[in-house]
Amino acid sequence: MSTTSRRNFLKLAGAASAGTVISEHASEIGAALAAATEGDVEVVWLQGQCCTGCTISLLQGEYPSLEGAIDDFRLAVTFHPTLMGPAGDDAIASMTKSPDVLVVEGSIPTGMPEAATLGVDEQGHHKPIAEWVEELAPASNYVVAAGNCAAFGGWPAAENKQRRYGLGANVTGAQGLQFEGRAKGGVLGPDFTSKSGLGVVNIAGCPMHPDYLLLTLATVINGNTPEIDEYHRPSPFFDPNLHDECALRGYFDRGEFAEKPGDPGCLYKVGCAGPYTYCDDSMRLWNGRTSVCRNVGAPCVGCMEPAFWDRFSPFYTPVEAQNVFGIDADTAGKVALGGAAVGIGAHYARKLTGYGTEEEVEPLEETESGGED
Amino acid sequence: MPEITIDPTTRIEGHHSTTLQVENGEITEAKSHMDMFRGVELVTLDRPPSDAPHFTGMICGVCFTCHRMTSILAIEDAARNAGMFDVVPRNARLLRDVMEGIFFLWNHAVHLIALAGPDYSDAVADTGFDRLDPLEGEGYVEALKQQRKLLQAFTEFGGRTPHPLTYAPGGMATAPDAGTITSVRAQVAEVSDWLGPTEAVPEVIENVTNGTVESDTAQGLHDLVSIIVAAKQVGADSFGLGPDRYYSNGVFYGTDDDSRVLPPGVYMDGELRRPSRETIASKLSESTARSWYTDDSGGHPAEEKPPEPAPGKEGAYSWGKAPRYEGRTMEVGPLARLVAAEADPFDLRATLGGGTTKSNTLNRLIARAQEALIVRDQVLDWLDAIDPRRPFNVGWDDGFSGSGYGLWEASRGALSHWVEVENGHVTNYQVITPTLWNLGPRDNADNPSIFEESVEGMAVEDVGNPIDVLRTIRSFDPCLACSVHVESPEERFETTVEPASPTGDLP
Repeated sequence: MSTTSRRNFLKLAGAASAGTVISEHASEIGAALAAATEGDVEVVWLQGQCCTGCTISLLQGEYPSLEGAIDDFRLAVTFHPTLMGPAGDDAIASMTKSPDVLVVEGSIPTGMPEAATLGVDEQGHHKPIAEWVEELAPASNYVVAAGNCAAFGGWPAAENKQRRYGLGANVTGAQGLQFEGRAKGGVLGPDFTSKSGLGVVNIAGCPMHPDYLLLTLATVINGNTPEIDEYHRPSPFFDPNLHDECALRGYFDRGEFAEKPGDPGCLYKVGCAGPYTYCDDSMRLWNGRTSVCRNVGAPCVGCMEPAFWDRFSPFYTPVEAQNVFGIDADTAGKVALGGAAVGIGAHYARKLTGYGTEEEVEPLEETESGGED
Repeated sequence: MPEITIDPTTRIEGHHSTTLQVENGEITEAKSHMDMFRGVELVTLDRPPSDAPHFTGMICGVCFTCHRMTSILAIEDAARNAGMFDVVPRNARLLRDVMEGIFFLWNHAVHLIALAGPDYSDAVADTGFDRLDPLEGEGYVEALKQQRKLLQAFTEFGGRTPHPLTYAPGGMATAPDAGTITSVRAQVAEVSDWLGPTEAVPEVIENVTNGTVESDTAQGLHDLVSIIVAAKQVGADSFGLGPDRYYSNGVFYGTDDDSRVLPPGVYMDGELRRPSRETIASKLSESTARSWYTDDSGGHPAEEKPPEPAPGKEGAYSWGKAPRYEGRTMEVGPLARLVAAEADPFDLRATLGGGTTKSNTLNRLIARAQEALIVRDQVLDWLDAIDPRRPFNVGWDDGFSGSGYGLWEASRGALSHWVEVENGHVTNYQVITPTLWNLGPRDNADNPSIFEESVEGMAVEDVGNPIDVLRTIRSFDPCLACSVHVESPEERFETTVEPASPTGDLP
């Protein structure tokens, strides 16, 4: 693809204003990609300790749809345990051993390799999924972790609080491809890069949002290196704060809180992890732009964040009530309301509540509302 | 004696394989291996009961409603037994039903068309039914679109799908208004139109049998019936034979407060029983004799400890446990539910499948299609019974001590969750999944599971192409495509299962 046509393409894809990541789909993108791509893009999709939920989510994509992406992005999915027609040795044989894109769904049980296997090795033993990943990842141009489990260890890495049976906090030693919770490392190690020179791209979420995966594929197929954050998540999808863009945000600003799920009001008090969760699903919504958890009264569980299972559990308990942030929800709302009333920017309220940060309070800074502080 | 290994096989949550001993062209022994372990029961411990539905709800991304639902039933039961909880509002019960119903319809359509269907497609099995060809056939592609539409309707209540978070202890998190309900109604009706009218079934069967597979008024039905007709043509009524023993917990409360729409039932020795909830609960047990768990991890689900892994255990071959009813294996799933409901719409199982209560590969497919229509024909009534002016949630308090269980049905069969709570913390948790009933391992008396038994004695004409074994595995509604390789001590056979497309790739 020539420089000129790439520039046109980026413009078309709205990527110029959003780093290098294609963050919105348009039918022209597919056509541009199809014209710009030489040959098929070979994809291998492996499953570790997974629930297949990210695959089911993939099937729900509308902008683009999976079948549209396969056509337009010229994807040749040479292995996908749930979707492929062939079976048996034919299936294993059809798997590219040096794919353009390796996608992994599910965590890797490093402490108990027999806890997830696929096929057999040369000795005829069940072959641990870890071995497949270690073989395929270095031979791939791009490695993508689909969902929180593959990215960070996810659900199988949730804490065994009782340390029952001497198994330790992480029952099977479940890890993500390049992270274990929030720490870099994982199965492939902190320094791993695929052939493109990029580390593992983490499409966080439980499940992942189909747009995030398919549009990231569009980005790399286009030859662009996606801009990623400290947890290797593509920035345009994972930069926005979910609480800032929440449809219930007005309730928060007025200090009106639901006392239980199903009540009208902001879900802060019933455990919403929105203020600490970063992704654009408050605006993008799910299932063909139909809805999102908060819009049906379900507090965010923080599923886009590394180690969310333990950071946000108990899930129906307000994060503030855990006393981590030193202020309760009522106060947070009043502060926000008072702040607005006297013309102080939202960031001042944020400073007081600590929301948007994890362990430390954000420095006071100029805000969009004028910064008259 | 050749040994056929199917790896990975079926389990929706992960990895499954099967080894088959074949002698003189007949399977003499089958072993069903579950090749994944995650330890959900362990991580649920020491958390508040309201966290249990969050953790266990993510057991499966295909059965993305059923575990959350059953877990909530279990903790609500425990709180009730502790005197801390009464019942959820009628609206919540109805809305849960509606969502479960839409889910069943979705699951059955996706399973039949996308997972089992290819086995009967022209591309895979030279049946002439090219509408069923994976990712290319017009029927398959249309079904992909329709399933998206159906889950968009679901998402109006669920927020997102899979893994909706809207089921909450005490009711539902959402309180939909009349406008949302109307909109969902319209969306479901649209998918329903694709399927076509139930009363068209006999005519559709006749048309498909005569070679007509396209229809202006019932295209979905034509494609589903194509699978059944093709399965009949390959003799699926004569293989995958189970013991004709069935168990269902019953599912859907419907508009009648005192019964379930598909009632609980146990069918064995030619007789249908209607055990109470308590009786069902008392008859269940699990064996870990052949599982990669310590032997003392088995027992009655309310009493056994969380499974303790023992990966190197001698004689074990599965991460699954072996659940039994009165010590016997039981088939679960749509066929079990319809036997329990004494329902055989249009006598399809009686006329095509060798008998209403006969367990075979064809009848499992027929029952799944029949159940899809039964649910489709009622789900909008449940939706209409919701009164948006009334409450959907009575609230919830984690602070109690008590134990309880939830008996429900996942689309693929009987599901139960068992919980013990002390001072607001979960101290024991057990899950018995349908796939354990159908595809678990042997028990302490060496009795094979339903699937193991159903392929033992099956003729395998070509050990390199055990497609009827695959068809049987898939008839239980496993969610992973099967990978088959065949080996013997002397030599390794290549399978000749035809790829779905000439290159073996997805298009």
